[in-house]
Amino acid sequence: MALYKPELEKAIARIRSSQAKTVCIQLPDGMKPMAAEIEERIRTETGARVLIWLGSNFGACDIPQGLNRMGVDLLISWGHNPFHKKEGW
Amino acid sequence: MDVLFLDAPYSGEVKLAEETLRYLKKKKYSVVGLYASVQFVNALDEIKKQLEGAGITIITSKADRTHLRGQLLGCDNYHQSLNLSEKELAELDCYLYIGDGKFHPLALVYRQKERNEVKEIVCNDPIQKKMTVLGIADVKVILRKYRGALMKFLSAQTVGVMVTIKPGQEQFRPALLLEKKYPNKKFYYFIDNVVSFDQLENFPFIEIWVNTACPRVGLDDQEKFVKGVINLNDALDAEEILGTESVLNGLGVSS
Repeated sequence: MALYKPELEKAIARIRSSQAKTVCIQLPDGMKPMAAEIEERIRTETGARVLIWLGSNFGACDIPQGLNRMGVDLLISWGHNPFHKKEGW
Repeated sequence: MDVLFLDAPYSGEVKLAEETLRYLKKKKYSVVGLYASVQFVNALDEIKKQLEGAGITIITSKADRTHLRGQLLGCDNYHQSLNLSEKELAELDCYLYIGDGKFHPLALVYRQKERNEVKEIVCNDPIQKKMTVLGIADVKVILRKYRGALMKFLSAQTVGVMVTIKPGQEQFRPALLLEKKYPNKKFYYFIDNVVSFDQLENFPFIEIWVNTACPRVGLDDQEKFVKGVINLNDALDAEEILGTESVLNGLGVSS
């Protein structure tokens, strides 16, 4: 069993409700080996094109830039919850 | 573009290891500051029961940038961010962190650098079912270098300010306060997506760097900045920090 639950049912429900056609998945390093399994589940169950973010996933503060230019409708970022940015630290 | 965050919660049982409970009892810790990473924060019921059963009082809080009470982020490394009162801070015997790895709990060590004593961080890893303890010894080398960098910053004339373009981390407006505070220094602003450490040496005119991206970069990545680096808020208060009795100033200079 995987150490961390990928909660793919939530991911798939959101893709369906938002009718996203292109989805970017951003995984923390510990879950990156699961990218193939996640890509396959999303693609087969929703028909969406899946782009896998290669780079960092340091936190909810670390959202990939340039996704709009790639036509991404939905970013799914694992390992974090919403981040409340504060000006200054 | 729409964004969905998924916590990726830990799939196993979240409880205190026997070793952890024994250690808390041995040290006679009766009030703990309980925090966890997002993978564990929603599953602390059993741990709360175990602590209550051992007669241990829990103090916790909602940190500024987190979404949930009791959640700890790696960027909670400045003393105000946890929103604990001075009374609560005085009552705490130690912090108890639930999660794996050192990145998050080290924030709890760093955030005490300007205090007079560091309360240790008891880390309970539910995956390994093990306990480790973090304290000032774990960051002594980093903090010595950091103090040296603070002194260097005060005497430097030419400063490179790193600003990330990531919206969640970008702090350009607060960075501009440096010019007001230090009108005699020349600040150059460098923008990047991630901090490209391998590019730093291409700007040899920079005497020292001020980091405004993730506040852990200025601490954990010290060795990647040959010229030295400090974090923005410490740069703005450098004289006060160096002039106050604290754990940081008790460490001596970098060797």
